[in-house]
Amino acid sequence: MSEPFEPKIVAFVCTYCTYAGADLAGTSRLKYPSNVRIVRLPCTGRISPMFILKALQKGADGVLVSGCHPGDCHFDHGNYHARRRWTVFNSLLQFAGVPEERVRFSWISAAEGRKFAELISEITEDIRRIGPFEQYHALIAETGSPAPL
Amino acid sequence: MSLQEHYRSQARELLAAGAVKMVVGYAEGTTPERRRPVFITEPEECSRLVLDARCRTNLAGYLLREGLLSDGREIAVYLSTEGVRTINILAAESQLSSAQVRILGFEIDRDEVKAMEGKRAADFSEAILAHKERRKKQAPDELAAKLEAMNAAERFTFWQGEFSRCIKCYACRQACPMCWCRRCVVDNNQPQWVNTSSHTLGNLEWNLVRAFHLAGRCVECGNCGRACPVDIPLHLLNRKMTGEVLEAFDHYPGMDEHQEPALASFRKDDPETFIL
Repeated sequence: MSEPFEPKIVAFVCTYCTYAGADLAGTSRLKYPSNVRIVRLPCTGRISPMFILKALQKGADGVLVSGCHPGDCHFDHGNYHARRRWTVFNSLLQFAGVPEERVRFSWISAAEGRKFAELISEITEDIRRIGPFEQYHALIAETGSPAPL
Repeated sequence: MSLQEHYRSQARELLAAGAVKMVVGYAEGTTPERRRPVFITEPEECSRLVLDARCRTNLAGYLLREGLLSDGREIAVYLSTEGVRTINILAAESQLSSAQVRILGFEIDRDEVKAMEGKRAADFSEAILAHKERRKKQAPDELAAKLEAMNAAERFTFWQGEFSRCIKCYACRQACPMCWCRRCVVDNNQPQWVNTSSHTLGNLEWNLVRAFHLAGRCVECGNCGRACPVDIPLHLLNRKMTGEVLEAFDHYPGMDEHQEPALASFRKDDPETFIL
């Protein structure tokens, strides 16, 4: 019998808000699924769309990109630039047939530990429901690279 | 006098007077229905210049040949509205000075070529504005509408089929006047963002990355689609992106040479309906 499906989710977060929010979730002893792997970056402005494609290329079933609320960026406007990029990239991914549930974007502040925990639970459940990203995994398999862990 | 003759004599005069050092235009191609770019430096050669409804290629990209404009001299180019917008974007991105580009403007309306009056890119702002308005009202073509109606898995399968044919020749990149990076992200190997072998995965990544990098910059000249040896409908991706930036940011690329690039600027009230 095969093991039950555990989604692999990569979260790209900015260090000043969402990472601190995740930290708060931890220190507040809030429970959230361990399916998420967090990658901490200086700012959402540093999160290139290439990162999202790379995560999918390495077999992720879902990706979360998150940072400071508009107006709260530590670097003043990094998240405004990021937002434009996401708008365009999100529409491109959907046009290419990547389901909406697979790549999510959010604003989570350093005070929103609860929102972080809830969002991770929600995303994990969504992806558990739709299952592994078989279509993408088939493309990965075709390249002959080792199966994603 | 036909427009072809008119521009031939203009090109001849410009070269003879030394006002421009080169004329970039169209000449007969290898078959009767083909046109090819020519680079003319002698007034006597101007009789080779052709202008008709088959002259579809956007010639603006040739101006970016390394060192071509570095002597400060002018070059005359045959350009349609898309071409003029290309010049505006390239000037906004500091890739050339629009003062060095003498424009021989034309517009193709079905099978007819019409003159567009103006010498410099700034002279065409009215025509560009009219194009923007027309673009806003333009309905998606049949295939695009069909795609939009599909669900995600069907769309993925569609693109998988299209991109499985891609041979990673990068003709789209070579033909694109906007792809001027000296080192493309796909040539980067540390880290290697995009799989370079021509598997469908790498092909998908490459085409998505290119579409993203052209978002808010593409003028929809169609050079990439014409260059593609396996007929991938690249225009669908680019059109989707153009529509998106137009709708979300009211950004139409190449309005003038001072226009800020869509993805290098922002407004505090940009839409964000999809962000949780």
